[in-house]
Amino acid sequence: MSKGSSGIRYVPAIAAGKAVRVATRLRGGGSAFPGYLTNRLAPSLLATLAEGFQDGIVFVLGSNGKTTTTHMVSEILRAHGLKVFTNPTGANLPQGVTSALLADATLTGKVKADVAVLEVDEAYAADLADILHPRVIIALNVQVDQLYRFYETERVADMMLDAATRASVAVVVNRDDPYLSKIDESSLAAPVAFFGASRELVAQSAHGLVNAADTRSGNAGVADREATAEVVALDGRDVSVQLPEVRVDLTIPARGLHYAVDAAAATAAVAALLGSRFRTDATAQGFSRMAPAYGRGELVPLRPGRTDEQVEFVMFKNGPSLQLNLDALESAPERLLMAIDEGTPDVSWLYDVDLDKLDHVDVVTGEKAYQLATRLAYAGIPIGLVEPDMERAVQHMRALPTTTSGRQTWFVNYELMMIGRRLLGHGDQEVARR
Amino acid sequence: MTALRIVQLYPVLLGVTGDRGNVDVLAQRARRAGLDVTIDSVSPGDDLPDADIIVLGNGPLSALRSVVDDLRDREPALRAHLERGGVILAIGGGAELLGSRIGVLDGDDLDGIGLLPYRVDRSRDRRVGYIVAEAPEGRIVGFEDHASVYRLADGAGPYAQVTAGKGGVPYADGRAGEGVRVRNAFALNVQGPLLPLNAWFADLLLAEAASAAGLSYERSGELDLVDGYADGARAAIEERATKHFTAIDL
Ligand SMILES: [Zn+2]
Repeated sequence: MSKGSSGIRYVPAIAAGKAVRVATRLRGGGSAFPGYLTNRLAPSLLATLAEGFQDGIVFVLGSNGKTTTTHMVSEILRAHGLKVFTNPTGANLPQGVTSALLADATLTGKVKADVAVLEVDEAYAADLADILHPRVIIALNVQVDQLYRFYETERVADMMLDAATRASVAVVVNRDDPYLSKIDESSLAAPVAFFGASRELVAQSAHGLVNAADTRSGNAGVADREATAEVVALDGRDVSVQLPEVRVDLTIPARGLHYAVDAAAATAAVAALLGSRFRTDATAQGFSRMAPAYGRGELVPLRPGRTDEQVEFVMFKNGPSLQLNLDALESAPERLLMAIDEGTPDVSWLYDVDLDKLDHVDVVTGEKAYQLATRLAYAGIPIGLVEPDMERAVQHMRALPTTTSGRQTWFVNYELMMIGRRLLGHGDQEVARR
Repeated sequence: MTALRIVQLYPVLLGVTGDRGNVDVLAQRARRAGLDVTIDSVSPGDDLPDADIIVLGNGPLSALRSVVDDLRDREPALRAHLERGGVILAIGGGAELLGSRIGVLDGDDLDGIGLLPYRVDRSRDRRVGYIVAEAPEGRIVGFEDHASVYRLADGAGPYAQVTAGKGGVPYADGRAGEGVRVRNAFALNVQGPLLPLNAWFADLLLAEAASAAGLSYERSGELDLVDGYADGARAAIEERATKHFTAIDL
């Protein structure tokens, strides 16, 4: 591929008008990002900042679960007594990582933390790794995601595999992922630690882990790999991860096999980074301190000044994340809002998601409400109201009788999660991971 | 009673843009019209069952390379299917395979199976966003996301004239066009997927397929609810595609 330094710019004309996805360069051509840095900063500043972390840097890459896993790794390290620097939720492009580091740096060019845990956009991971020299790189999964941006899913796999060659201590890889499980260990500078879920747990999950089929090697499925961190038990939010020597029992912040697998990845990464300093009790303690991340099982009161009914936000950004979150439901939501707007340009994947978990939807909203309603109707799911305007949809949800469970469930894309939170009076609490 | 037989080719490798939605819509509409329906999936190496409608979905270049030899072996069967009046719906990468050749920017070009009268060249510019196009039987509304330009053989023309969006099948005079129809084979880039958003198009395919099979298809009134939602989706897309800067540009 040689796309030069051209990029895709996406300008959503959404109501909020805020969420701008920054231009991305497609990897393989000219190297736009180092140029960007050279133009704006002393070229060595970022590298100097990186060297200040005595316990090094961890990169978290993946189509789904980056934010959650970054949060998990950070909390486990904190529970081990380390001071952790991490980039704010979603600030995973070079500009975001750079400005977060600069914001925390002292005038002498030092960030006062022992270790950095960074969620990094796949498209920039290799370039950033060349500058920051991460010790550990976690590659969570390759799922069909943002084709309008990446064109072909295998390119996303190559971005992660390419970045992985830059890790100096460990590459932590999902063995249940068709592309990633075929990682060429001879290309790497560091040993691989595979994580995953037991065969039984994957088989019990209605749609497995929804990782992308490998379309290029002749084997669409996974290569057989031994996991060094394996989810061996899952009951609600209680998870057991088997490590080579010990088993760690954890309580994770939200239900779902994908979160349990993220927890195995985080545990494997910390074990690799800390070596003999790794402790299972501190690991469990790190998880117990975690609050649910923004839009991932978080609860917000439905009506101001009242606590009798909460909204559980469930964010999805693509087919796999919607499927995994549906699969994680204990039962059909009693009161359900679903929302998609133009922040999600192509919603063809709605037809690849199995919606059997739902028995009705109360309100369908967002600019793409009628596209979603069409999909739901073909799935035979009754709809109470289609109201493209989110504000009116929220009013309608508030006017419905109180649920017996005291809980409404709102499945939302990122942009409408932000708007929905604001409409509920929780708008500006952009969650820093401390 | 004879069933309407739908076959989806390579659903695992060619199915990244909700292609099973097109299959599902055909099946549900046919069943509501009182027809029995069978759906078969065919992977490389499988026998091709007798079919009234064959659906070929979208996928990456690596997937096209991995299925093309298998598809080429089926070319005589597909040609016979078309000559009997059978329907083929091919979207994106699957549609490109039905032409004579796919010219790629990096790496080796790929020979198609030569069933339909075009070659396709991958382009540097990507065409992404909503698309609206006027076909003889109705207005096509959906989402396009491709980097390909069709070159039609002499005597062939685009199926629909693009009124918003880009399209991938230009007219000889340079106007934007989209899709190719030869007999009852339809090749398009339109996702969304195509058929839920374009009920008239699904009904056209079903009527053609039924008639070739000696059955008859008449749209059921039970579809009023879902088609009403689809009308709402079409109106929102048309509004955005024509009045706003389309979502994505290179
Ligand atoms: Zn996840």
